[in-house]
Amino acid sequence: MSPSKKDDMLYIGIDLGTSRSVVSASNGNRKWVESYVGWPKDFVAKKMFGKRVLFGSEALEHRLALNLSRPLQNGVLKEGTEQDGAAVEELIGHLIGMADVDADREVCVAVGVPAEALKVNKIAIKNAIANHAKKLMVVSEPFSVAYGLGALDNSMIIDIGAGTVDFCIMHGTVPLEEDQRSLLMAGDYVDKQLLKMLSEKHPEADFSLNMVRRMKEKHGFVGASKRRVKIEAPVDGIFTEFDITEEMRKACESPMPAIVETTIGLIAGFDPEFQENVRNNIIVAGGGSQISGLDTYLTESTKQFEPCTFTCISDPLYAGADGALELANDMPGEFLEKL
Amino acid sequence: MSRQSKIKKQVLRSVYEDNAGIQRTGLGKRQPRAMETEHRTASRSMTILIVLLGITALTGINFRLIKVDSSGPVAMQMDDRQFQQYLNNPLFWASSHEGDNVSSDLDPFHVSVDDENSLVHYEDMIAGLGVPMAELFSLKVRTIVIDPGHGGIDPGATGRQGLMEKDVALDIAKKLQDKLEKTGNYRVILTREEDKKVYLKERVAFAKDIRADLFISIHINSLPEEAADLNYVETYYFGPHTDKRSLELAQKENHDSDFAMGDFREIIAKIGDTLKTEESRDLANAIHRRLYSGLRSHNNELIDAGTKTGPYMVLLGVEVPSVLVEISCISNIAEETRLSKPRYRDSVAAFLKTGIVEYLEHRGNRRSIIGGRAEYVAKQER
Repeated sequence: MSPSKKDDMLYIGIDLGTSRSVVSASNGNRKWVESYVGWPKDFVAKKMFGKRVLFGSEALEHRLALNLSRPLQNGVLKEGTEQDGAAVEELIGHLIGMADVDADREVCVAVGVPAEALKVNKIAIKNAIANHAKKLMVVSEPFSVAYGLGALDNSMIIDIGAGTVDFCIMHGTVPLEEDQRSLLMAGDYVDKQLLKMLSEKHPEADFSLNMVRRMKEKHGFVGASKRRVKIEAPVDGIFTEFDITEEMRKACESPMPAIVETTIGLIAGFDPEFQENVRNNIIVAGGGSQISGLDTYLTESTKQFEPCTFTCISDPLYAGADGALELANDMPGEFLEKL
Repeated sequence: MSRQSKIKKQVLRSVYEDNAGIQRTGLGKRQPRAMETEHRTASRSMTILIVLLGITALTGINFRLIKVDSSGPVAMQMDDRQFQQYLNNPLFWASSHEGDNVSSDLDPFHVSVDDENSLVHYEDMIAGLGVPMAELFSLKVRTIVIDPGHGGIDPGATGRQGLMEKDVALDIAKKLQDKLEKTGNYRVILTREEDKKVYLKERVAFAKDIRADLFISIHINSLPEEAADLNYVETYYFGPHTDKRSLELAQKENHDSDFAMGDFREIIAKIGDTLKTEESRDLANAIHRRLYSGLRSHNNELIDAGTKTGPYMVLLGVEVPSVLVEISCISNIAEETRLSKPRYRDSVAAFLKTGIVEYLEHRGNRRSIIGGRAEYVAKQER
């Protein structure tokens, strides 16, 4: 008889993202934090905050007094710096803490990480989690999304994150290297493009990367615009209105040719018998999937090649963590015993 | 059990095996393809190297690996069975002094033991591989560092109309960064993004810190007044100087490097880094070819000074394939005028980008070890 699962075990799914990290636990807790970790620079800062380490927006807000780390910049752990390894460990600990774990309760954690990080930093990430949970699994973010959606066979997941766009074809098993691709033209790239265009067009206005990121998250769109995008930015200290519709469209569309090309290329390498099934089952996830008009734009763009159908998921923020939670929950006891 | 449940069960098992570090066998629909096999082959080759180094260290016996068939990379043309026999072959693991001049069909490398000469002849082995080392170990390029020369209080060369090398180099570097990033395949980072002084030592340390895979330093040339009518393009990778002018130019660019003698001794020990040299040469050739042919369309009198080696500190210190491009001569008034125009600088960046991408693509398309082996096996089967 195979070992049964412990009733008192708490299952936790984590989506460790470049921009945001999310936790979803079997006790119903679902929370997220911006992926920033900061340590007070000196004893004055330590006294002021009364904390050893700060996370998310709080860390970002007080960044001048902190040694700040965004550990998964560009979708991988910035190797070689101890601070980034420590930041992942702190972030995982913080996320597990956000799930309200009882001290005496055993924890099983499944963590989804950017596909590139899984390839490059798997051991480092496992080590970082191992200090917080005895039972752990690390999978790629697109895979955890696919698992949560039940899209396990003949489907493609495109996870548009901040650091990378991860592509993954599912065919009933953990995706192999040739089933996956990553592009670096993701959310951060769009932000940089937008900042560049706005700074060139309106040199008199002060735009920052954080400002344009927020503008993109609120007004980002591709294809035809239904309404004008108007924002306010300071000019010599006075807030002035700017119409940035065209710049927003251009910036958001800038990674699209590469996304279309990679999608077509990846499907072309798949078993020809199943290519049509995959083409009709492309799921777009990640923060980038919230860009207005994205599914229609991508579907239209592929018409000139082999037509594909793209669908954006409804809850991109929690999809990865929920999928990881389901994975941890479903893992048979006989396997959990040995993990 | 429904099909979906079966698939789920299979997926859970693969996740478990993947995380428990267990070798998967036939779970996927498809067998591992060339890329995985290629990685395995590279690992085997690495294992052989490590074992040889280990035996050398433990026994003090030095191996010389000589290619039996000089017509091509025979060592790479084995199927798995032959490879296994090759590894199991006691001749390969010879630890006595009796193995001189042994050869067989299964032994594509001849192994000789040389206790008279205490030098280790790894260079023979590397030369005998017949493929670039970057391919042998499946090394990939992701992070490209662009290094705009000079900056801040160091203007570099200044044209007769006042145009400064530091400004032109920075603008071209930014344009190049933009073009490379648009391919979506590379992380591109500049050693300076503004007009500030960065010491050569800091540039080298920066490239190391962010784990650069390629390093491209951008400079503009300048000639003495008597040669101000000349305009030429030249590209350097690290090596001894080829002529007096190359040495003078390197001295100029090395000026104010902030390297101490201790640093110099440490980095000079890296000369002879085969992988870096061969990849730097290929990169320099690809960039130079595109840059010269592109700029020539703007200026018929442009001289092709070619790809050269030069003792540049910044190229020596960086541990990855690295080149220094002297785009053209700011001392030539017509060229200075061209360089002052954004569209011309954009064209320069486009030529550089084409050269870099061609190098990277060519690198990927070169017949790989496993490709060569497969072709050989297919030939044998025919």
